[in-house]
Amino acid sequence: MADPFTIETAELRKHYGGVEAVRGLSLQVPTGSIYGFLGRNGAGKTTTIKILLGMARPTSGHARVFGLAADAQETSVEIRRRTGFVSEEKDLYEYMTVEEMIRFTAGFFPRWRAELEQRYLRTFELPRDRKIKALSRGMRTKLALLLALCRGAELLVLDEPTSGLDPAMAEEVLQALVAHVASEEMTVFFSSHQIAEVDQIADRIAIIDHGRAVVSGALEDLRENYRRIQLVFDGNAPEPSFRAPGVERVRRKGRVLTVVSSAGTERLLEEARALSPVSVEVVPVTLKEIFLETVSEED
Amino acid sequence: MLWYKAWLETRWRFLIGLAVLMCSAAGVVFTYPSVLKLMALVPSLDVGGEIGRRIREAAELAREYRGYVWSQGFGKNLAQMTTLFAVLLGTGGLFSQSGAAVFTLSMPASRNRLFGVRAAAGLGELLVLAVVPSLLIPMLSPAIGETYGVGTALVHSACLFVAGAAFFSLAFLLSTVFSDVWRPLLIALGIAIVLALGEQVFREMSRYSMFGLMSGETYFRSGSVPWWGLLAGTAMSAAMLYAAAVNFARRDF
Repeated sequence: MADPFTIETAELRKHYGGVEAVRGLSLQVPTGSIYGFLGRNGAGKTTTIKILLGMARPTSGHARVFGLAADAQETSVEIRRRTGFVSEEKDLYEYMTVEEMIRFTAGFFPRWRAELEQRYLRTFELPRDRKIKALSRGMRTKLALLLALCRGAELLVLDEPTSGLDPAMAEEVLQALVAHVASEEMTVFFSSHQIAEVDQIADRIAIIDHGRAVVSGALEDLRENYRRIQLVFDGNAPEPSFRAPGVERVRRKGRVLTVVSSAGTERLLEEARALSPVSVEVVPVTLKEIFLETVSEED
Repeated sequence: MLWYKAWLETRWRFLIGLAVLMCSAAGVVFTYPSVLKLMALVPSLDVGGEIGRRIREAAELAREYRGYVWSQGFGKNLAQMTTLFAVLLGTGGLFSQSGAAVFTLSMPASRNRLFGVRAAAGLGELLVLAVVPSLLIPMLSPAIGETYGVGTALVHSACLFVAGAAFFSLAFLLSTVFSDVWRPLLIALGIAIVLALGEQVFREMSRYSMFGLMSGETYFRSGSVPWWGLLAGTAMSAAMLYAAAVNFARRDF
């Protein structure tokens, strides 16, 4: 029986000198999910991915992929054998041609999908005999994606897959990714600070801020449970302390009090109405708003 | 595929090194007739001091073809060039290409394997740089009516290789410490220059130094293979490569 979680981290920490890049990160990525890993630049997304793939050692805590320890040399090799990876920079070997780069990568993966390679070479219009250094940023991204998708991997780890691409190219890459995942049984774990693309393809997300997960769960559940309640008062808004669960943020501005809740609104509305506002409005919250509410500094 | 990658990354350094060292070896052979003609002038030179001593020593060595090949080839040009290309082969590669290094590390290969292939490929190329130009000397010598022993050339090439491997290993170790190409290159070359200058100051110690081993001076003067020197050089390289491997295994990318 397949492991219910392809990726699990528990209290994961990573220090670089005096800088704490990851601070007690706990994640569970269900097998078969498309998991968006959202965070601002420098939030700890890339460091987490590097720990998962054995490129960086955790200072403390645990990281497991396919149930295997990510920080042990032997199991880390096995993890990488079953994982396709696209790095943020898409740095490949400048001195190789597209064909050499493909042959180099294919040599490591016995389950290399030759028919997919042919299909993506055509779809992405990649010139086989061109040197990597002569490829545009978009072409490099497409080649990096080809190299990750054709490995016959069970897990795809993408670090900012569309960074540096124009919107049209980013859309093309995302569509290729979605089409691939739709036809293959695999787990996708991808980091991004592009909320729209996470919203477009992820079914589960975690938002990471200052090295720790501040929100995680199924995207549908988050959309269902997150609400903004706006209360307008006759005079200046009061400074209430709500006891209802899930109050994420309370903002006062003149006559208006805004409350963001992550656990429905029933109890919160009862408390809010007791404050005698002149109007109460409940509105759903988009992923962008959830992101901004959870990662922005307190007022 | 890792071997192929290592070859692609180092091939120009290797091929240029091979061409330079072969030209240098051929140059030593084909300039000998001209040098012999100049020898006639040496007794008339009345130069004192260190320079005069060196001219007389060079002239003395050049009276015999074997002495000339040693003083100009194995003791000078080939040793200097081998040092330079050993350092060049030891720098760069996996460690300096921080972005592409992430791609390499995403492959299902252990760090020990990545390290081992890169080190073995570099040492293999260094071995060719040490042996092929050395063997060129006995091969070309009949063209000027001289002979040079293949065995002698092989002993000198072993000295070049073992001492060169120490500089290669030093550069390799420094490459696991610094993430750019230039610092390992400059520090390793700087250490080589300091060692060479040290030999000029402490001449009586020169045959026990790294460049003394590289030139095969003990073998040239006494005919005995410098086993202890070769062993010490090998141990030094092994220690530096081990330190580099440990450093590489621990490093975060």
